Amino acid sequence: MISVQNLTKSFGDVRALDGLTFHAPDGQITGLLGPNGAGKTTCLRTIYGLQKADSGQALIDTVDALLDPLAARRLIGIFPDKFGLYERLTAQEQIAFFAELHGLKGAERNQAVTAVIERLGMTELAHRRSAGFSQGQRMKVALAQAIVHQPKHLILDEPSRGLDVMSTRILRDLLRELRAQGTCILFSSHVMQEVAALCDRVVVVAQGKVAAEGSPDELCAMTGESALEEAFVKIIGTDEGIAA
Amino acid sequence: MSSAIVTVWRKELRDAVRDRRSVLAAMSYAFFGPVLMAVAFFFLVSQMTDDSDVKIDMQGTEHAAALVEFLAAAGIEQREEPWPTGRQPIALEFPADWDAAIAAGEPARVVFNADFSNQQQRAEISRVTQALQNYSQQIAQVRLLARGLHPQLMQPIDVVRQDSATKGSRAALLLGSVLVFILLSVFWSGMNVAIDISAGERERNSLEFLLSQPLSSAELVAGKTLTAASFAMFGAVLSLVIIPFVFTYVPLERIGISVDLAWQTLALMAVMLVPLALFATALQLFVSFRAKSFKEAQTYISFLLMVPMLASFGIEFARIKHQALYYLPLTGQHQAFLDLIKGEPLNVFAAVASAVITLLCSGLLMLGIARMLRSEKVVFGL
Repeated sequence: MISVQNLTKSFGDVRALDGLTFHAPDGQITGLLGPNGAGKTTCLRTIYGLQKADSGQALIDTVDALLDPLAARRLIGIFPDKFGLYERLTAQEQIAFFAELHGLKGAERNQAVTAVIERLGMTELAHRRSAGFSQGQRMKVALAQAIVHQPKHLILDEPSRGLDVMSTRILRDLLRELRAQGTCILFSSHVMQEVAALCDRVVVVAQGKVAAEGSPDELCAMTGESALEEAFVKIIGTDEGIAA
Repeated sequence: MSSAIVTVWRKELRDAVRDRRSVLAAMSYAFFGPVLMAVAFFFLVSQMTDDSDVKIDMQGTEHAAALVEFLAAAGIEQREEPWPTGRQPIALEFPADWDAAIAAGEPARVVFNADFSNQQQRAEISRVTQALQNYSQQIAQVRLLARGLHPQLMQPIDVVRQDSATKGSRAALLLGSVLVFILLSVFWSGMNVAIDISAGERERNSLEFLLSQPLSSAELVAGKTLTAASFAMFGAVLSLVIIPFVFTYVPLERIGISVDLAWQTLALMAVMLVPLALFATALQLFVSFRAKSFKEAQTYISFLLMVPMLASFGIEFARIKHQALYYLPLTGQHQAFLDLIKGEPLNVFAAVASAVITLLCSGLLMLGIARMLRSEKVVFGL
């Protein structure tokens, strides 16, 4: 369970987070939906302790990343905003590196790496250096890095950017599978369809605040619209910065 | 050592070893540097000890056959080819009454014609002068012996010449530049790796994810410093191995220098370079973690490289002497190396102290980098 309470954060005059509060329960996919610049990435970085909020608190289960960043990071898998690969390492070596950083050793590590490689259907990529990988293949490596240690929480920042249909499907299937295993999944997106297709709960963020919260159906009912897109536009009051 | 440090170290080493540019950078300095230096020394030495034959014009050689034979043995011979332009002829002329004068015990006259102010021909002229004097002395000794006198009578004082001039200082210059070269190898060899694992990490967008892993930034920095320092040491050891090997081909003994680098000395030097390698790479990481791209970091680092270069060359050639030099990073190792290469006893206390101080400085730098990586301003360039 990830819970964010009253986060505020300013960069100079810009208020990136302005009292943001929401919960992402276990066994559910929570979507953080908002236009570009709404504060989604800043919020996620605060949760895993890479940025410090001016006030407020972000908890993973009961751990505050601000106080104990290492403990917080042990509990989560991260699919970051930018994922650069080590081009001179093979996919398998990269995944093993991050597995080791999460404390997996020897046979245990190898087993975890093999399992995640098979799960993501990237066996034929495993021993190739990542220099020539396509965007979809890179995404798979990044995803494998995020879940190799089987975290109880998974945080994804705009995971479907630049993915083709097949890669998007693999991603969605994986997220549903993890949800079924009780993983708490929090992802940010500005893509409406993705959120509608995947999320159990949607948190609409605009200007660093929660504009609305609920299941996609609830949001539609709340605004009296039949499509989530229309509901969304109504909630944030503009259609700027939103991809259909 | 924490296992996260080892994990980072191992991963970065594997990554760096596969980077041809980094490996080449580390090796090229170690390889081409000593070879270049050896070639330069080789020419210097052969210029200083040129003992090829001197060819001069000689007239009347038929009158003084014995002297001509003596001169030939000293490498002074009759010139067949014309003098090159810009060179004044050097000529000896023996008169027809030479033999008669020698036999009568009178001074035999030889005319020595040359431009005695010509700097370029000074070596040749002095060799001819020397040879004539030696011959004259030899005849004088024979004459004294024939008259029952000891030749030592003609040598009332015994001058013992000890040359402390050009050859000696040139030798110091040669060895000094070798030392500076070895010291700088730790700064050169790890440079490319240091940039790649810091500014390069940021450039390829992998820094954020790496910093989101459950390891402290101090562990991350330690692993990365060890990686770059490993490369620095690789280059340094390569230089240390290659330098004595290359210098066996340079006839340094002919100018009175003995470079006696036993393997124990080399091993000791390598050990003393370890703290310096850590210091050099920590310094480079400190600078290049602030850069946004590989190129930007390269610019900063090249400026940074000037500092140790100026420091070590300055101390070497300005012959600065100060006690503090024995204890500071870089200069401490430099002074210890100077003692070692001169065959003087090593100042053990100073060497250990400078190693400890160098390690402390590296540790502080690493803590500084770790602190920097916890700052979101630096990490995200806000």
